[in-house]
Parts: sequence; structure tokens; C-alpha cells
Amino acid sequence: MKIEVVVNKKKIKMDVDPTTRLIDFLRDDLNLTGVKEGCSEGECGSCTVILDGVAVTSCTILVGQVNGSEIITIEGLEQSGELDVIQKSFIENGAIQCGFCTPGMILSCKALLMKNPNPSEEEIKRAIEGNLCRCTGYNKIVKAVQDVVGKEV
Amino acid sequence: MEELKYVGKSIIKDDTYDKATGKTKFICDMKRHNMLYAKLVLSEKPHAEIEMDKSEALNIEGIEAVYTYDDIPHVLYNSHEWFAGGNQYKDEYLLCNRARFVGDRIALVVGKSKRVVEEAISKLSIGYKELESVVGIKQAKENKAIIKNDSNVAFSKSINCGDYEEEFKKADYIIKDSGKTQKIHHSAIEPHICLSEIDEHGSLVVWSPCQTAFQIQYHVASVLNIPFNKVRVIKAVMGGSFGGKGQTVLEPICAFAAYTLNRPVMLYMDRKDAILGTRSRNATEISVETAISKEGKILARKIIADIDGGAYHTNSTAVAMAIGKKLFRMYDIQNQYFQGNSYYTNTIPGGACRGYGSPQAHAITEINIDNAAKKIRMDPCEFRLNNLVKEGAKDPTGGTDIGNTKIRQCVINGMEDFDWKNKRQNIKTKDTDRYAYGVGMACAVHGNGYMGAYPDFSNVDMSIFADGSVLVKIGIHDQGCGTVTTMQQIAAESLDINVDKVRVLEVDTLATPYDSAGTQASRVTFVCGGAVKSAGENLRKKVIDSFCKLKGYSEDDVIASNGFVYQKNSDKKYSYGDVAVELETKHSQSMSVFERYESPANPATHAASFAEVKVDKYTGYVEVIDLLAVHDIGKSINPQIVEGQIQGGAHMSLGMALLEEIDIDKNGYVKSTNFSKYHLLNAPQMPEVRVMTIEENEPFGPYGAKSVGELAAVAPAPAVLNAINFALDTNITIYPATPEVVMNAISNKK
Repeated sequence: MKIEVVVNKKKIKMDVDPTTRLIDFLRDDLNLTGVKEGCSEGECGSCTVILDGVAVTSCTILVGQVNGSEIITIEGLEQSGELDVIQKSFIENGAIQCGFCTPGMILSCKALLMKNPNPSEEEIKRAIEGNLCRCTGYNKIVKAVQDVVGKEV
Repeated sequence: MEELKYVGKSIIKDDTYDKATGKTKFICDMKRHNMLYAKLVLSEKPHAEIEMDKSEALNIEGIEAVYTYDDIPHVLYNSHEWFAGGNQYKDEYLLCNRARFVGDRIALVVGKSKRVVEEAISKLSIGYKELESVVGIKQAKENKAIIKNDSNVAFSKSINCGDYEEEFKKADYIIKDSGKTQKIHHSAIEPHICLSEIDEHGSLVVWSPCQTAFQIQYHVASVLNIPFNKVRVIKAVMGGSFGGKGQTVLEPICAFAAYTLNRPVMLYMDRKDAILGTRSRNATEISVETAISKEGKILARKIIADIDGGAYHTNSTAVAMAIGKKLFRMYDIQNQYFQGNSYYTNTIPGGACRGYGSPQAHAITEINIDNAAKKIRMDPCEFRLNNLVKEGAKDPTGGTDIGNTKIRQCVINGMEDFDWKNKRQNIKTKDTDRYAYGVGMACAVHGNGYMGAYPDFSNVDMSIFADGSVLVKIGIHDQGCGTVTTMQQIAAESLDINVDKVRVLEVDTLATPYDSAGTQASRVTFVCGGAVKSAGENLRKKVIDSFCKLKGYSEDDVIASNGFVYQKNSDKKYSYGDVAVELETKHSQSMSVFERYESPANPATHAASFAEVKVDKYTGYVEVIDLLAVHDIGKSINPQIVEGQIQGGAHMSLGMALLEEIDIDKNGYVKSTNFSKYHLLNAPQMPEVRVMTIEENEPFGPYGAKSVGELAAVAPAPAVLNAINFALDTNITIYPATPEVVMNAISNKK
């Protein structure tokens, strides 16, 4: 199947097996290895990407379903060497330990902020409820998002 | 003390930029020319002899090998034994022909892609000749079915001091409790993985997100019968461990495949494999009897801990001793008897799990302490303050000295910050028909390495180059906790040079000098940090001495600061690099030191947690509303990292308190094989963890520091159970206190 997608603002046309999981397409075909696989069934959130503005788990979506869509992965947040404010905030707040959940976690937060630049603590926690982190207890992650509230994202 | 420039500062962890941008290469992101993928085939039966027909699988295009017991070297090892002198009982093969738990390694399939590997696994014809299985401590004790040797007892030992029986006779009250703790999956978000290859020098290389590279070297070399000096283990970036990646489960068989096929092999696991086929926290059943006086003094205590060791010996000895020893190091109890019994069962083998025995040791005893206080109507904090160890206390069993503990200060400061007395007295006024509120607290103790029990030393090779940059080679393994940054800060402080100039390598057995025990046992900041400090001080001295020798100055006239050395009255400053160049040119020496550092002590580290809970009496659901963690840590090398450790540890401990459990049915089959059945607390369920540190200097620790990361996962759980019991006036001693357990306790009360 021929698909056309925009990934990290780059137009991609490719012949794919539509039953390939989106995560495998991103990691293996596009070499976007920031997408991480932690559970393979949408429970841990480490493979989260932003699909047409919504945070989704790329291990539960097939590439045949995303034709014509726009996808943002962690590699797409940095703009000409400048980190996204949410990336900076994760770094400055100590919200990153082992880092395996981090790309998915950051993208869930980014998707929230794209829709709602002024989320409450409750809304932040809801936005990342599908992203498991074993290292931080989420405290510093929530703080990292609270710190960028009101800033341009 | 002079003002510190780098230690005590919340310097940003060195690896976070790459992790925030997705640039970090975990093993799953590594590629090698001609690389093969491998996956273990895990037993689906708890106890069975295995027969396998692999012909169909081998016919699949792209499959390179299917290994079974018949193909591997028949050399036994113990995946927990971290050095050759460990004298641990060896009972594991790389692959077995008699599976002893659901998850046991019975084959390895190797092929050119994950797809063909998965396909080949589905084509394996596996015959299981089932044997009677042993599940749970009760069955193990019955010794009706025997898993190996002539008894299911893997290890049994008592530790004691004084005469508890005599003191029991004098007691005003004896408070008895018994309870149990569960098996836990470490839940590192990165599933277990490793990569093995043969490098250009002919070394058999193993890349692993491990905690003990020299242990892997030892196991690979001895099982494959290859010289140690040809095995090179490199610690890869690790997506979390918490003890779960401590034992060598994947590496020797992966190395075997790479060595045999002479091609790079990546052995990967999925989540189900990681839950079933690796290690778990040992489940325990613990009974406690505490004899007290009516004035609230503990006279004596007797504790029996029965431990589910799982299907292989692994840590059965070590965890029993770890549980026991800690019980003598928090309260001043001069008459105490502990017996630890580990049993073989047909379930997931035990392994290190954040706190190594401490979570189990405190789970029931800290509830029992609350019950003792309740018996004499004393506030549980006051009761603890009556009995907690004081600064400079000795271990009554002859263990290492307790050190400069501030556990009493933890309790006192925590009471004040938590508003304990007021809350304890008035919280019930918040109760409604449906919701009951409670506050509870608990204390905990952990160690600082192996000193007193096993060899505990680290070697450091530290150099300054011509450009003034510093390279520190030490066998550490950063688990994501910020170990590298912690060491950079210690090196920078001791050398007096900007932290940006310092690079700290993680372990590569070919590049970093030998370290006796790996990144485990809460030894790294205390022991490895001590080693780096000592090396840094000696190297700074070498810079000063060299400068004096080269320039003819006396030491008293020379200042070394911020990476420069100069004569007091001179404007001319020389960088450490300049001195290194001149030292080499004129005296034929490098600006480097090699430091062998043996741990000087192993003090206790203590903490107290205070929790407030809201219990839904209709559903049994418990919400932790507030958690305060007070840690006596001597000195925070990096406060932000320390806080992160305490909050993350609390997450694991609250999971133990409320919902985490590897659910194994009575026949040995595991029901919780994914994250929809094995629940971790997610963000909405997790309270804010308020952190207080008490930093009063441990004399033997680097800049006064003690351990924190493991201890952080201990006290919150019993604090929460004490809070639940206070809310409901129950005596729940079962972990996890699931809604079902809570509802049962409520209905039993009626």
C-alpha cells in the first residue's frame, strides 16, 4: 500500500505493508528510534506519538490507518537546535531518570499543551495517566508541565 | 567545613538532554552489521520435563539456530553470585530440560529478524511431561513434592542477641502479628535485553543494561569456558532496573549464541517475558512477637521470616540474611531472635528488588510496632522515640557500627512538619459514612554497601589531560538515578575543577578497573563516591606537588582552584592541563592516579514516612492523600537527584502497599502477565511526595553522604498500612492491601 504521511513536518511517500505497526514503521523504516516499546499493547505509553494533534500509542495502530495524517515524534520537537519548552522543562525539573518513558511522556504533555495551554494539575495527571514511569513517581513530571503553563508552546 | 562548590548543588543530570530529545541509544536502538535477533522460549508449565521438536522451526527461512539443553555447555551457575568467591549454590543451566517455573528458559531461537524468530517460536513442538509442583511457602514446607535435592528448604539460619526467652517472661505485654508480602515485578519500562558480538580484538563482547558487569564477565567466562580476559562486558544505557536487571538471566545465553554463530546477536524480551522469565521480589510470610514493658520499652523480639525463594537458589541465602540483619539496626533491642527460612517453589526466582529485604523486613514489623504502642495507648511516634537507636549505636550482633544516625530527628521533624499529633487526634472528624480517614507512619533502615559481609572495594583510574579535561574510570552502572552526575560532582569537588571538565565512564570491563560488587547494595554513592573523592584529592595533591617541583615553590605558597594552580602572589595561572604537559615533558610522568579504595564502614541509613489515607468503605479503595518522606542521608550530593530518588522509591513502595502483585494461581500459572493485569500506580493515583532530608554528616561517607535510593522504597508501605488500620481500626498485615483485602478486614470487624 502506498501511503503519504507528514512526519515531523517532512512529507513521506512510501510503499508499506499496511499491517505493519506504526511503531515499527517509525523505528525501522524512518529510523525514529526515540519511539520506545515497553509493553506492546498500549498499556505503558512509551511508544506515544502525536497523531493529528492527539497523543496515541503507536504500538496499537497500524501504518495503514495513518495515511494522510500528520505525526510528531520526539525527534520532531527540537526546532533548529532549539528544544521545545516542555523538553527544557523536563530537563530543568529533574523529570528524567532512566529516560525510557521520557519521549512518550513528553509527547503526551506536548499534546495536552497544544490543546490546552493552561491545564490544571488534575488535567496534567489525566493527560499522562496512560504513560507509566517507574523512576520518578510522576511528581517532577507534573511539575515540569506546570512550569511551562503560560509559556509559549 | 569549607564551602562546597559542586557537591550539594542540583546540577542537571548529564544524560537528560539526549533522553529528552530521543537521541539516547538504548540497546533496542543499536544495530550491527549482520546482526541476528534472539528470543528465549519460556516454559508454559510450572514443573515439567521438556521434549522439543525443533525441525519445523529450523526450516523457516532466516532461522539460524534453535538451541535447547542438548546444545549448551552443561555448566551450572548461580545468576545472583557476583564474584567468583561468592560460594553460592549453583543450580541453573543456560537452558533447562526440566522446567521449574512458568518462565523458565527452555530454548533460544535465533534468526535474521524478530518476525522470523516469533514465527519459529510458534512452530516449535514442545512436549511437557508434567511433574507435581510446589506453589507458595505452605506447600514448600510440607515437602510432599520436592523440587530439587531432598528438601524444599533452600536456606535456614538464625541471628540473635541476648536472651529473648528470658525477657519474654518479664514482659508486661507480648504483641504478636503475622502477615505476608507479595512477589513484585520490577517494572522497568525498558524490557530486559542484551547484545553480544565478537569485536575486532577477538573479545566476546556483551552489551547489557546491567548492574554488575564483572558478574556477567564471571558467568559468561565460566559457563562458556572462555578466559575472563577475553570476555568484555559493557554497561549499556539502562531503561530502569530497580534490582530487576541485577542477575545474569539473558547475558550468558546471548553470549553463547554470538560466540557459537560468530555473529552479533541481540536477545530481546517482551513485557510478558520480562514478568515471567526474569526475577521478582521474594514473597515472604513473617511472624513477629514483641515483648514490651508497660512504660513502652521493647524488651525483646522474635521474628520468623519464611521466604519464597522461587525455582532456583539465586539469592535465597542473601535475602534471608538481609532481612534478618536489618532488624537489629533500627530499634535498640538487646534481646532478639531472628530466623530466616528460604524455600524452593515452582515460581519465579527471587532477586534483588529495591531495598533488598528491607521492604519485607519492615512490612510486618512496623505494623507490629504500631500495635505495641496501641496496646499501652501510647502514640506510635512516641513509642518509636522510646526505642529507636541513637547516634553511635553498636549493632548488638557484632555487625558494623550504626554510625551517625539521625532517625530520631527524622521522626521528630516529620511529626512537626506533618502536624502529626493534631492529625492523629482529629483526623477522624473528617470521616463520613462512606469514607474513613487515617494517618500512619513507619520507620526504616538500610545499609551502605557490603562491608562487614563481602569484599567491598572499588578502583579508580583518574587522569588530567593536556586540555585540562578529566577522565574518571570507575566501574559504576548508572541506572538512570544520576550516578554519573553524582560522581562528576564528587570528582569536581575533590579536584576543585569545573564539573563540565569531568567525564566519568560507566563500566566497561576492558576499560574501567575492577569493582568488587557492582551497582547494588546501596554502595555506590558511599563506596564508589568515597573512591572518587579519594582519587580526586590525591590527584589534586599531585597537581600541586608537581607544580611546586616544576616551579620551585613551596606548597604553602600555592593555590589550586577552579582547575588552575598558581603562586599566591603571582598573576600567572596555570591550568591543571598545563601542569600535566610540563610534568610529562620534564619528569616523564602522566597526571594520573590509580586509587584502590576499600570501604571504611557500613553505617545504617534511616528514614521515616508519614502518610494520610482516605479509605472508601464501600469499595475498599484506598487513596493516599499525603506522603511525607524524611530521610537521614548525611549529605545530599545533588538535592534534585535525591528528591527524585525518594519520590520514585515512594511510588514503588505505595505500589507494594496497595496494588502490585505478580498473581500466581495455586497451580503455579501466572495471571498477571501484562500491565493491564499487573498494575502500577499511574499519575492520577500518585500523591505528591513531600521530601525532607536531614543532612548531619556521616563521617565515613564522601562529603558526609549516605545511601538513599533503595531506602526510599521501604517506609511508605507500612506507613500506609498503619494509616489504613488507624482509619478503620483494623489490623491488615497483608500486602498489597487491595480493595478486596480492605473489604474483608472491614467485614471481619463486623
